[in-house]
Amino acid sequence: MARPLDPLGFEDEMCPVCKSRKYLNPDIVFVFNPECYHSMCLNCANRLFNDGPNQCPHAGCNKTLRRKGFRSAFFGDLAVEREVDIRRRVAAVFNQVEEDFETLQDYNNYLQMVEDLTFELVNGTDERRRQAEAQLQAWEAEHRQDIERNKKAGREADEMSRKRLAAERDAARQRRIEAIKEAEEEKRERVRSREMELDNLAKGITTTTEPATKVQLKRRGQVNRVAEAAPNPAASAMATGASEVERLSIRGLKEKPKAPAPQGPYDPFGGMDFAPSRYKLHGGLTHPLIEKYRLDRQHVAGGYSFDDFAARALYEAFAGLGVFVEDEKEAGSASGIGLSQETTMAAGIAAVDDADRMDLD
Amino acid sequence: MASEDARYRATSQFEAWSFSPAQLAAMREKTNAIARQRIAERMLSSASNPPTSNNTSHANTPDPSGTGTPNPNENSAPTLPDFLKPEEEALLVSFYVSELLRAADHLGVPDEVRATATVFFRRFFLTNSIMTYPPQEMILVALFVGSKAEGRFPRIIEFQQKFNTKQDILAGEFLLCQGNRFNFEVRHPFRALMGAMMELRSYGDIDEQRIIAAEKRAHEILLFSPLMTDAYFHYTPSQIMFAALSLADRGLAERLIQETFHFVPPTTNNDNTPAVTPLPGTENSGISRKEGGGKGTMTNDERAAIIGPGIRDKVMGTIEACRNMLSNELPERKSHWTSESIFKSQIRPVRKKLTKCRDPERWNLSELQRQRREAGLRRADSEERPAASNGAKDAGIFGGDLAAGAPEKKRRKVDGSGLEDPFGGPL
Repeated sequence: MARPLDPLGFEDEMCPVCKSRKYLNPDIVFVFNPECYHSMCLNCANRLFNDGPNQCPHAGCNKTLRRKGFRSAFFGDLAVEREVDIRRRVAAVFNQVEEDFETLQDYNNYLQMVEDLTFELVNGTDERRRQAEAQLQAWEAEHRQDIERNKKAGREADEMSRKRLAAERDAARQRRIEAIKEAEEEKRERVRSREMELDNLAKGITTTTEPATKVQLKRRGQVNRVAEAAPNPAASAMATGASEVERLSIRGLKEKPKAPAPQGPYDPFGGMDFAPSRYKLHGGLTHPLIEKYRLDRQHVAGGYSFDDFAARALYEAFAGLGVFVEDEKEAGSASGIGLSQETTMAAGIAAVDDADRMDLD
Repeated sequence: MASEDARYRATSQFEAWSFSPAQLAAMREKTNAIARQRIAERMLSSASNPPTSNNTSHANTPDPSGTGTPNPNENSAPTLPDFLKPEEEALLVSFYVSELLRAADHLGVPDEVRATATVFFRRFFLTNSIMTYPPQEMILVALFVGSKAEGRFPRIIEFQQKFNTKQDILAGEFLLCQGNRFNFEVRHPFRALMGAMMELRSYGDIDEQRIIAAEKRAHEILLFSPLMTDAYFHYTPSQIMFAALSLADRGLAERLIQETFHFVPPTTNNDNTPAVTPLPGTENSGISRKEGGGKGTMTNDERAAIIGPGIRDKVMGTIEACRNMLSNELPERKSHWTSESIFKSQIRPVRKKLTKCRDPERWNLSELQRQRREAGLRRADSEERPAASNGAKDAGIFGGDLAAGAPEKKRRKVDGSGLEDPFGGPL
């Protein structure tokens, strides 16, 4: 899989170990190890690292390399190759998408942070690079599950789009086949009808031409209808594929913005309890005064509920029975419900009085 | 806490209009003191510069005030009249309540209207002195507003035909609403009495005639005694109802209490365990734990707090106190308030005193309203600001009483005293 690294000036390419050049050996393949991004020819790499890990032959580089890590470069410039590798790695770790964030601002801040980190890794000094590396690993360790989930979601999304593309392709192919079949059918039909016409002419029956064309027209109409119906399954398959993709991305949306914990249904009464605790409602609660209305159509027809009346009367009979105004209001005066309110009320009166006086002056 | 009590505690009647006796007395003192101070100031100011617009108010005022005010006018160092004491005010309020009940009878209004009007009247004169606003007119205003609050909408013509006054009623309407802090719902014990009777009947072993007689008498008491006393301020409607029932037939009231607070906690060694006891079948159907929402399970402590013997004794004590209060004003006392001799010996001296110390500016309701409207219009004309004219328009719409004059000024004033409520501060 060696690619021409330097198609124009390959005389520059020289293995720093064996000093052989592309000019001398056109089949030479350069490889490098992402540990240190020092390149050498494949022969040297094989020779040096066949017996297991060894030191990098470059002067001043004391990285220990293995044969397995060597690969050929995609970019001519190994610095670019290295940056791409780093970016790939960072992107695998920081794989959040915009939907994971509550606001665009947050997402942009996140992108900025990732880019800063990447820059440190690519261009930073040793010290800063180490720091960034540590940050990256810490993040990876902390958010392993999130990363895994996002990766999976990404994979699934890829899978889906691939499936969808495949389905589209299939549908297109199907349509083409249908069209061809249809054309053939039509041709056959035309031939047959013409033969029939000729037969009829030969037999001397001229009146049948009209029905024949009619038949042909009808057939054509049917064929057209069939042709209309044919691509439908494919289209629907495509539609389902699209909706599945849609659904997946929606799920990704829904998952991330942390919705507040469910608060239960809204209670217009603020949690007040309407079940009676001192009395119980039972049938047969009645009063002579309401008895006469039970037969009164004006009341009954309107849906007047005598049970509701009984419930209300009983509620009023027992509501506040255990409310001791004296105790509660005296106790409340300390917390500003009783006497202090009265003073504010007096102040309110005074204020109103003053205002009136000013008006009249 | 019993759910019924929690619901009652949410009413404005409990929140704003329930007081302990000491608090009520303190409020009356305070109202009296403020009224004295204001009226004295107004009397002095009207005495020092007589030919201002202020004077028009008592030029048009019906005569009785004329006997009081000329004195300060003539003397360069005006002498202030003898103001009413809080007790005298309370006596007069009670007298006028009895007048209100007579007026209600004359008008033939339902029980709820009668009671609501009385409560409105009492509440109004709790925070306003009887020296400031005219009680005789406020009676009719209370009846008019009370009818509306109870869902009956009488025409003002009816009042005019029966009481021969109209303008004052309309003028005082908004004032009364303000004085009541727009708390229009009053809880009454009448339907509660019906409920108690239903419950008593459901026991099945009480003589029907006894129940009917007790209800009749209790109803009669409820129509008079709680209204003539401060019961509505001190007790809840159900307590008032039980007290009235107890006055009518003590046995029935006690039976009902005993049946209601029937829970007997198990023996003491059992008490410490917070075990959820399965309840006896007949009792638990209507009882539900607050959070459980009808699960029907409650610990013994909770049940004891709601229907146990401890709370029963306390409730009985409260009902007894209410009963004592009501027994001071049994329906038989109706003749006491209407009798000529009592009026002569007790009421008339205080009324005479009142005519001397009433507020010169506030006494005439329609005049007061007219002045305030004019003041509002003047302001709108002179300043020609859209806001001010809006205010005047509002004042016209709302009948333009206390707030009619200067919405801007008033709002500033109210803000200054730390109150943001346009209704004049919380109660």
